[in-house]
Amino acid sequence: MMETVAASRCPDCGWVVAPPARICPRHPVEMTPVELSGYGSVLSYTTLTVAPEGFKPPLHIAVVELPGGARIFCHGRETRHLRIGRRVAVEQVDGIFYFASLGIADRVSLFWKRRGAAPDRTRDALKSAVKGFFSAYKNGAATPNQEEKNPIEKQK
Amino acid sequence: MKSVWIAAAAMTRFGRRSENLEDLMADAALEALAEADCQPDALVVTCMAPEELVGEGNFASHIGTYLGLSHVPALRVETATSSGAAALYTGFALIASGLHNRVLVVGGEKMTHVSTPRVSEIISRVIDPHERSYGATMPALAAIVTRAALAKGLFTEADMARISVKNHANGARNPYAHFQQPVTLEEVMASRMIADPLRLQHCCPISDGAAALMLTADPTGLKVAGVGQGSDFLAVRYRSSLTSFRATQDAAKAAFNMAGFGAERVQVAEIHDAFAPFEILALEDTGLFPPGKATRAIQNGELAIEGRLPVNPSGGLNSRGHALAATGLAQIVELAWQLTGRAVGRQVKATVGLAHSIGGMATNNWVTLVEQVA
Repeated sequence: MMETVAASRCPDCGWVVAPPARICPRHPVEMTPVELSGYGSVLSYTTLTVAPEGFKPPLHIAVVELPGGARIFCHGRETRHLRIGRRVAVEQVDGIFYFASLGIADRVSLFWKRRGAAPDRTRDALKSAVKGFFSAYKNGAATPNQEEKNPIEKQK
Repeated sequence: MKSVWIAAAAMTRFGRRSENLEDLMADAALEALAEADCQPDALVVTCMAPEELVGEGNFASHIGTYLGLSHVPALRVETATSSGAAALYTGFALIASGLHNRVLVVGGEKMTHVSTPRVSEIISRVIDPHERSYGATMPALAAIVTRAALAKGLFTEADMARISVKNHANGARNPYAHFQQPVTLEEVMASRMIADPLRLQHCCPISDGAAALMLTADPTGLKVAGVGQGSDFLAVRYRSSLTSFRATQDAAKAAFNMAGFGAERVQVAEIHDAFAPFEILALEDTGLFPPGKATRAIQNGELAIEGRLPVNPSGGLNSRGHALAATGLAQIVELAWQLTGRAVGRQVKATVGLAHSIGGMATNNWVTLVEQVA
């Protein structure tokens, strides 16, 4: 099962943006909702060693271009092996996008990096762990290698 | 359209200042008033975030009253980190349109009394909400741009470091600079990582400071030859290019179009190097160098004070410092001093200067051209 990402398409110019926007950023026309497949290629990335209020360093951020051209910001477990152009899976957990295929330990650790009330963090971590377990059990979680074998066509 | 002239230019030293914001702005404003030897008939005030940083609102009236100019119509202008350039434009427009004859433009920011994570969070509010919700700060977005530019081979990490070295060398000659100590290439490249691949010495400091200009309809010899504004999506992810700024390109075109001359006449430039690699991108986006030619100029030392085209003789944001809304005006003050032979210790030979200012992550940029008319 592939994750999907909520986005919006301009009925006039066809531009797709994510997360969905009410009005096309290129001109004042109401957009229509679309769903995009949750994989794409890395446009750029960074690791913050100085994080803003509400986050703990090191904070890994990537900009990922999804099929259709929409780009989203994602968090990740690390950027050491990341390269521009690398294909990654994008998963959304409670409104937050994560790039790459993440193990359960990675997910738990990631959620602890986002500040929040402790019960929320525990709940989020549990939900994520459960979700990761099920997707791995049902579908064989997409590993980076499998992703490389399934290159997507970029629609420009 | 009436011509607009600079009658006075003043600024405080940038850095960690003990004075409050009102006094920093008053120091710059009173010096400009004294130099101009006339009273303004309009006041343009700029401060990026006085509500958050110093807890003051209704800021144009606040500063108007503090300066003893409450009888003068006042307004506040804000375009994020390029607010100073926007304020200059507003003053320019008030005179060019014939609405006013003498406009005092004053900008300031006071930040060093607030903790760095808090300042970082306040400045981050200029970023798109989706991007900000991932912890994207200005250094984070700048790092994302820089990583993409490095991957395209537009410049190397050594080129980035050379910008910091040059601008710190210039700042060491500027008594108004926040940092007045040179740094070596090795020190820059070994400095602490902030947002990979950006290191501490690639990033501008958090500075306090103020700057003021008196603009008039009466010729003074120092002319605001052109002002251009360019804009772009707030969201970096909407941009067709991560490695050039449309807002700078459009601002430069508009400014040169208004001035009626091209980039070849520019002899000194103040560039918004909040992050060192941005100076390289701006040199090409403004048209001062053709695409792909700026790095050679950096390697050859052409951008030094003694070089062919001195860039950031003040030290730039990297070394002179970045007091948000004061910065765009401080750039014009530097050009005014350079073009009238008052840049003691760092004087260049020039009659035309260019100032480039970035608002937010290049969402609201400005290019201003100043010309010494014989």
